[in-house]
This record gives sequence, structure tokens and C-alpha cells, in this order.
Amino acid sequence: MSLMFTCDDKATLVAYLYDELDAQARLRVDEHLRQCAACAADVGALAGVRIELTQWAAPNVELGVTVVRAGAPPPSATVLRPVPWWNTVPVWAQAVAAILVLAVSAAIANVQVKSGPEGFVVSTGWMTSTAGSVAPAVVPAPAGDAQWRPALIALEQKLRDGIRANKETGTVRAASRSEVDNATMARVRVLLEASETKQNRELAFRMTQLMGDINVQRRADLLRVEQAIGHTGVEVAKQRQQLNYVIRASTVPHE
Amino acid sequence: MAGDAESFNQLVLRWERPIYALAYRVIGRDEDARDVAQETFLRAFRALPGFKGQAKFSSWLYRIALNLCRDWIRRKKRTPVVQMPEDMDVIEMAADRGPVESIEDLVARNEMSRIVAEGMKLLPDEQRTAIVLKEYHGLTFQEIADLQGCPLSTVKTRLYQGLSVLRKHLESQGMTSFASGRAS
Repeated sequence: MSLMFTCDDKATLVAYLYDELDAQARLRVDEHLRQCAACAADVGALAGVRIELTQWAAPNVELGVTVVRAGAPPPSATVLRPVPWWNTVPVWAQAVAAILVLAVSAAIANVQVKSGPEGFVVSTGWMTSTAGSVAPAVVPAPAGDAQWRPALIALEQKLRDGIRANKETGTVRAASRSEVDNATMARVRVLLEASETKQNRELAFRMTQLMGDINVQRRADLLRVEQAIGHTGVEVAKQRQQLNYVIRASTVPHE
Repeated sequence: MAGDAESFNQLVLRWERPIYALAYRVIGRDEDARDVAQETFLRAFRALPGFKGQAKFSSWLYRIALNLCRDWIRRKKRTPVVQMPEDMDVIEMAADRGPVESIEDLVARNEMSRIVAEGMKLLPDEQRTAIVLKEYHGLTFQEIADLQGCPLSTVKTRLYQGLSVLRKHLESQGMTSFASGRAS
């Protein structure tokens, strides 16, 4: 920017008008405006235009734009179903339980897998082996029971602890869900109120528009009536003239 | 993704009125401004993953909205203008008119607003947009220059010329009371 402000520097004048000049440049413009009546009048008029522009208000509308995922299910927070008990047990505990059941079943059924010249042979039950081809049972049943029992008791205890812990967590979860419920209900209420307000506003707007249309229609009808009355008046005047003429003609004595 | 939609809806709530007002003042029609605003948010949501925050979110939205307004104005200019026959009765036309909204019905609630709206319609699109962004959205010259893709000096020229045209229009309507004012 030059040191002196000149009258044709409209860019600086606009920056002055919108107060986007640094302090020094503003001082220079101020000084110029004190001496130049034309620029001072220009700035004053444009500032006045800015004031008038504030009168132009855009309608206060609510678009109600909401982004919703296509095919998204309704929020699940509104419908709460009881959680099945097996969902409260951790996966690891379920896996351990499954293995335990399988192992106990195998022990009870006395499953034996043997590999021999006939290939793999799977046998169950407590039958005695027939020939010497099959070796006696590797682990006698009573000895097996003795080994499994402490492990079984420990696992059972672990499972019970796990289930108890999950029940407590489930209680907390239910409480938080009720909070979610309350929040959802509050939001629904807010949405309903907003919808009602919007409908009222729309109704008021439509009523205003309707009144405007009725007014235009009324003026048009009045114009038509006036035109019709004027037309009828001319016809009546013509008929009256003709009648007068006939009367005059009929009363003039024949010579 | 659901979280994205939820967050974005909060942004919509914050910006829907400014974006609608921008579109309304630039293109001057309520219904079309609504469409432009809705389309703006739709496009913004689709492009959200590409928004890296290098610009202000508002500037980004304004840019999308202004591009849509520009498209609308181009389409409108291509639409053939129907001339009114000389023997057509304007009052009858007005009386037969359905509940189609016009700019006057919607915005110009009073005489002053109507006159200002008329004056804005006289301006070229670039001048009107610059004035709208400056006066009603408070953008800086630089922000307007970025949005309009023009030099800073061009923005100032557009503002000066636009305000001068409005000044003449207001004076022609008998509104000369402001001529003696001074800038603050």
C-alpha cells in the first residue's frame, strides 16, 4: 500500500469500511476522509447500505436433515431382552467346560483308540480284550477317577466364580441400559417438540400465504365487478339515449 | 460408521441454518435453497473421509454449498424465459396463481426487506455472493477469495461495486436517509 491514500483506491476504502485495515493504514484513510468530502460521502453512503442490508432476513427454517445408514436396524436401546445365562459365561470358561464334558464322557465310555495292522480301531465300553492282540487297559478306571476329581472340583469352582462375576457385571449393564433408555426417551421428547414447533411455524406461514392469495383474488374480483358495472352503465346510458331519441322523435309534430 | 453418522448429525444441527441462509440469499428461492442445503450435507457426508482438516469445516461446507448454488444458477440461466403476452391480465394471472412461493412471499416481510432483496437480485452472481459471505457470514476478504477462487483485490472490487449498485437502487427507491452516515 502506498503511503498516501488516494481517492481511486477503492480496495482500501472497502477494507476501511469493513475494518480490515491495520492501524496505520486506517489513520491514513481517516486523514484523507477529513479532507475529501467526496470520499467521506462515499464511505458514509456505503456504510448506510450495510445497515440496510441487515434488514434482509432469511426465513428461519429447520431442514431436519439427518444422516441415517441405509438398512440400519432401529436402535436396540429401545427393546431390551433378557440375556441368556450362557451369554454371561466367558468364552474361555465355556471352552473349558466343553473339554471337561468331553473328557469325562470319554472316561465313562472308556474310549480306546488303537493302531494296528487293521488300521485305527476305536472301541468303547468295559469289555475285556479277547486276544493278546490288544493290550490291557492302560489306566484302570478307579485310578483315572482319582486323578480327575481334584481337577474337576477346581474347574467347577472356577466356573462358579466366573458365572458369579458375570452376574454382577450383568447387573451393572442393566443399569446402564436403563440410563440409555432415559436418554432415548428424552431425545424422542425433544424431537417431538421440535416437530410440533415446526408444524406450527409451517401452519402460520401457510396461513399468511393463504391470506395473501385471498387478498389478490379479492382485488381481481373487485376489478372484474367494477369493469362489469362500468360496461353495464355504458349499455344503460346508450339505451337511455335511444329511448330519449325515440320519445323526442315521437313527440315532434309532423309538418 | 454409526458413530460417524451421529457426529455428523450434530454438525448438521449446527450448520443447517447458516448453509440454508447462504443458499437462500445467493439463489433467492426458498425451495431451491432447501434442496441446495440438503444436497450440501449429503455431499459433505459422502466426502467426509477425504476431509483432512486442512480447511475449516465451515469453509469446506461453504465451498460445497457455493458450488451447488453456482450449478443451480447455471441451470436457471439455461432455462428459457417465458415472455408474457401483451394482452395478458397481470391481475388475473396473480389471481389464478396457485400457492407457489415467490421471493417476496417468503422473505420480504416488510418493504425494506423487499427492496433490499430486489437490489441484491440486480447484482451479478459474484458480487452478490461476495456481499452475502461478507455481510451475513462474516468471512474475511481472504476467506472469500479462497472460496471464490480469485485474488484478494478482486473480492474488494466486487464488494465495492456491489455496494455501489445497491446504494443507487436504494436511493432510487427513496431510501436516502443513510447517505449522510459515516463508517464507524
